[in-house]
Amino acid sequence: MTNRKVGIVGAGAVGATAAYTLSMMGTCREIVLFDIADGVAKGKSIDMAQANYYSSNPTIITAALDASDIKDCDIVVVTAGVPRKGDMTRADLLMINAKIIKQVVTNIKENSPNAIIICVSNPLDVMTYVTKRITGWENNRIIGLAGALDGSRMAYQIQKLTGVNASQAGSLVIGDHGENMIPLPHKISVGDIPLTQLISKDEMEGIIERTKNGGAEIVKHLGTSGYYGPGRAIAHMVEAILNDSKTIISSSVILNGEYGYSDVSVGVPVVLGASGVERIIELDLDEHTKEKFAISVKSIREGIDILEENNFFKSEKE
Amino acid sequence: MASKVTVIGTGNFGSTVAFILAMRGSCHEVVLRGRNINVAKGKALDMSQAANAAREHTIVRAAEGPEDMAGSEIVVITAGAPRTPGMNREDLLLKNAKIVKSYSLEIKEHAPNAIVIVVSNPLDVMTYVAYKYTGFPRARILGMAGILDAARMAHFIYEKLGYGAGQIRATVMGGHGDTMVPLPKFTTVAGVPIEDLFDSEEIGEIVRKTKNGGAQIVDLLGDGSAYYAPAKSTAVMVDAILKDTKQIHSCAVYLEGEYGYSDIVSGVPAMIGAKGVEQIIQMTLKTLQIARFKNSVASVQEMVDSLHESGFFDDCEKTNDK
Repeated sequence: MTNRKVGIVGAGAVGATAAYTLSMMGTCREIVLFDIADGVAKGKSIDMAQANYYSSNPTIITAALDASDIKDCDIVVVTAGVPRKGDMTRADLLMINAKIIKQVVTNIKENSPNAIIICVSNPLDVMTYVTKRITGWENNRIIGLAGALDGSRMAYQIQKLTGVNASQAGSLVIGDHGENMIPLPHKISVGDIPLTQLISKDEMEGIIERTKNGGAEIVKHLGTSGYYGPGRAIAHMVEAILNDSKTIISSSVILNGEYGYSDVSVGVPVVLGASGVERIIELDLDEHTKEKFAISVKSIREGIDILEENNFFKSEKE
Repeated sequence: MASKVTVIGTGNFGSTVAFILAMRGSCHEVVLRGRNINVAKGKALDMSQAANAAREHTIVRAAEGPEDMAGSEIVVITAGAPRTPGMNREDLLLKNAKIVKSYSLEIKEHAPNAIVIVVSNPLDVMTYVAYKYTGFPRARILGMAGILDAARMAHFIYEKLGYGAGQIRATVMGGHGDTMVPLPKFTTVAGVPIEDLFDSEEIGEIVRKTKNGGAQIVDLLGDGSAYYAPAKSTAVMVDAILKDTKQIHSCAVYLEGEYGYSDIVSGVPAMIGAKGVEQIIQMTLKTLQIARFKNSVASVQEMVDSLHESGFFDDCEKTNDK
């Protein structure tokens, strides 16, 4: 990984915030922004490049005029897609975003054939699966943003409740990045002690509910999805890969027998390093959590099934 | 608000603490107080110049006398004779108790509002001595122990695991000595319990290595003890106070009934912020852990008792609760 180049497809709020955060952190040498809307990527990239004047470690930020300019990237972040609006469910987004992803990913496959793809488009787990199917790449090179964001939302809830700085909280949210996500606050340590030592069972349930509702809460106020949290979470994943830090981050990945499932993408704790997903950590789940995980997987499979029924994968052969 | 931290002791430990603070720009001023003023001045100049290279604002200067501690928000006591090979922490007891006592009295006079971080060994007893001789409320007297022990435990976990660096949350309670109480049941890697990653034999090995962590380095160095990890652990506490982070760290604090003990210092999880120890966290311990903690407290108590017997505390103004 020598050129430390990151492509970001979709220069909307999430993609642009990810680019800006990365450039402020000085994580990569070069960022290329692409957006289907004319001028957006160009304008934002110039703005960010100028902000870099104050950075001690300036990142080169440019706009891709054409999708084929996302070339020779180490990582490509896919944020393209229609955003979720007020009462729109993730399922509504399914077909329209799957088609967008198909086009984007086909371009990446051609122009950045060695990249690792971080998928951010919703419904996240299904889009990550689509990315895998369309590229046909190894499982370790396809990663969906899920736990990095949901975990930060959980950490926020923990800090709100306990007053203890929760930057130390882990990112243990597994399952789908949607209605059936499974926050595991009872496994988290805040500071050097387990959260179970700090709060009651009822409070723990409250944290789980509010974490699950974290995205929708922002949509309710803003009328559209949040982007600061997602932007920073993406930067966290990019950093782990480029720095080969072998950091554990819950992410949506293609399972191959782990947790008893295969041929589906779902959130589990994984080790992220230079090769992408370097290891899938199999937590010892209790029966109750196993049931929740099964429901989560089922909901993702339903999304995949809808795509199958509409012959979405028909044109590609594996 | 100009923030000021005094570091007492210009040996490897004190110097490294000051250097880390200067490199991070944690405070505006670091005062180095050592017996050899020229050495303190030389190191202060060197660090001030390094701060400029790092484009940080911290100025390091040497104290000419105890009055230069005035206005410090935090005073770190690293002074004391180092542990040499074959010497156990207990050997250092009386020698270092006298040193910590004299600095505590200086702090009381010249920096009466400071928060004191004690790192001299044997740690828990020295923290107790500082508590008694400064006469400060217990919230302002902290011993650095648990952060270092937890860091060592995390290191041995990472060494075995090969991933998850920076995400390991290890918990160590009790005294900073041979009776420390590592708590593998409360130890996680990004939330994953180490019991999901290691078998009980491997965990036992990690615990053994952690307990031996300090001695291992003493043996290797041949002359003196570790200071990089101890200094960083101390800087973590300084940052927690100056930035009012309210993070939970295991620290040696004076107990007043917590975990069933009073008038003694031991390592417990505490929330650290601008006021020092803002809250002591009482964890639910299992029977075995309770027994180990008891054992740990008893070993600290023994040393405190031996200081009492030697008449060390006879001139102490602070009423003894015992």
